[in-house]
Amino acid sequence: MKWLALLLGVGLSAQVVASDIINAKQLLTDMSSAIQERNFDASFVVVKGKGMEPYRWLHGKVDDSELEILSRQNGAGLEVVRVDNKVTYFEPQTQPYSIETDAIAGPIPEILFGEIGNLSNSYDFVLGGKERIADRAAQLVRLVSKDEHKYNYWLWIDIQSALLLKAAYVTQQGEVLEQLQLTHISVTEQPAQPLIELSSKDFPMPLASLAETENTQKLQNNWRIGWLPEGFKLLKSDRHKLDLNNELADYFLFSDGLVEFSVFVQRPLSGQRASGALSSGATTVYVHNSGAFDVSVVGKIPTMTAKAIAESVTRPL
Amino acid sequence: MTQSNFNVKDGQVTSSIFDAEQALDNASQAQFDADKFARYALIGDAMRSQQNQAPCIDITARMADALADEVTYGEQAPQQEPQKVRQEDNVVALSNWRKPLAQVAIAASVSLVAVLGVSNYAPQEQANGDFPVLQSTPVTGSVSPVSLSSEPALESAEKGLRELQQQRIGALVLEHQRQSRMAHALTQQAQEEQEEQKK
Repeated sequence: MKWLALLLGVGLSAQVVASDIINAKQLLTDMSSAIQERNFDASFVVVKGKGMEPYRWLHGKVDDSELEILSRQNGAGLEVVRVDNKVTYFEPQTQPYSIETDAIAGPIPEILFGEIGNLSNSYDFVLGGKERIADRAAQLVRLVSKDEHKYNYWLWIDIQSALLLKAAYVTQQGEVLEQLQLTHISVTEQPAQPLIELSSKDFPMPLASLAETENTQKLQNNWRIGWLPEGFKLLKSDRHKLDLNNELADYFLFSDGLVEFSVFVQRPLSGQRASGALSSGATTVYVHNSGAFDVSVVGKIPTMTAKAIAESVTRPL
Repeated sequence: MTQSNFNVKDGQVTSSIFDAEQALDNASQAQFDADKFARYALIGDAMRSQQNQAPCIDITARMADALADEVTYGEQAPQQEPQKVRQEDNVVALSNWRKPLAQVAIAASVSLVAVLGVSNYAPQEQANGDFPVLQSTPVTGSVSPVSLSSEPALESAEKGLRELQQQRIGALVLEHQRQSRMAHALTQQAQEEQEEQKK
């Protein structure tokens, strides 16, 4: 009898899905346009292990220009402002600077505001169950990595408004590493007051060229990275000094559209140190001591992946 | 027949008399062991907790006997038997030499077990536990107190190295965060370039 009920259940749910024409990719596309179209005021928290960071997120449209404010509410703080295609970052201890792009790089991957289809090379879109998130009915959509070298990304999308309600980085074993949860959202007809004030303010000019800034040199085959997880492309490589400790590093930035990782090659610190990893939420830092040089890999990738990348870096022959 | 049989079953007879399985008559009384009876009675009472007094076993007489036989140390041995004395001396010296050694050996083995135990635990914990948790927001520009410490140079150098490494990791995380902000823009730029090339 149990078997029969189960079979019936599976059959029924499959039918429901088919008749509703709910398509995971369609849902994500709807979400992307909802985030760009609507006026909303939302609060969310990012939970990394025992740590928690609260954010406020405002979005709206004023006279055909898209405005957005994202600010971290705890600690030293961070404020990101977007006016159409100009994103300005305000942080303590550094001058505010702007980047010419159409999405804020915050806790939410930028791809979710754009062409989600670009991810289909590396991820499968899988529809999950319905759940109640932030007091709303939500549909789970899973971005499932096509290999085991990346984390999966799960999204819960508001069935009514198609807005993002919850998101999480999940390991291949199903363990949640880092989650983002909306605690409140109000969708309004009119944009919030802080957004209206934005349009009358001035922001720094975007950095002239993204690839080349001061004190950087183009890097030409200084190092060979022997192994990369499938789907990652090199976006940038140069040699520059790190802001915090003024140390020189050969730098590579890779992305698969959803997540990025950085590879740093540096002069080794003196003394015998073992290679090792640290992690915070989904972010892994792997430091590999290869003797003549140190390779560090930082990004939202599994430790084993970071280790394999770091160990594959060699001097070109 | 009677005598030998009774001897073999001596304890059994006493026990069965005590349990009232056998009548106490002349024949059995001959085998009766008064001491044993008293002991059994005492055990029975103790088990039924009817004994108010703690069982008192008097061993003073036997101790006194044993002490009387004990060799007295520290007393000058009579000089008439020098040979024997030397032999005894040897024995005493040997045991004196062995005793501390044995104690050292025991202490060493105990501490070895302790060390082994600890070193066995540590890697297991590392294997099971997660990697050390990183501070998500690197502490920038914080000033650490400087003092004229008397700490050994090597130790402070090691500490300095550790701090240097922590600082470097902080710098890497911050740099990754900054750089990945441009990632989206760079991807778009690359895509646009590709499209232009196609045209």
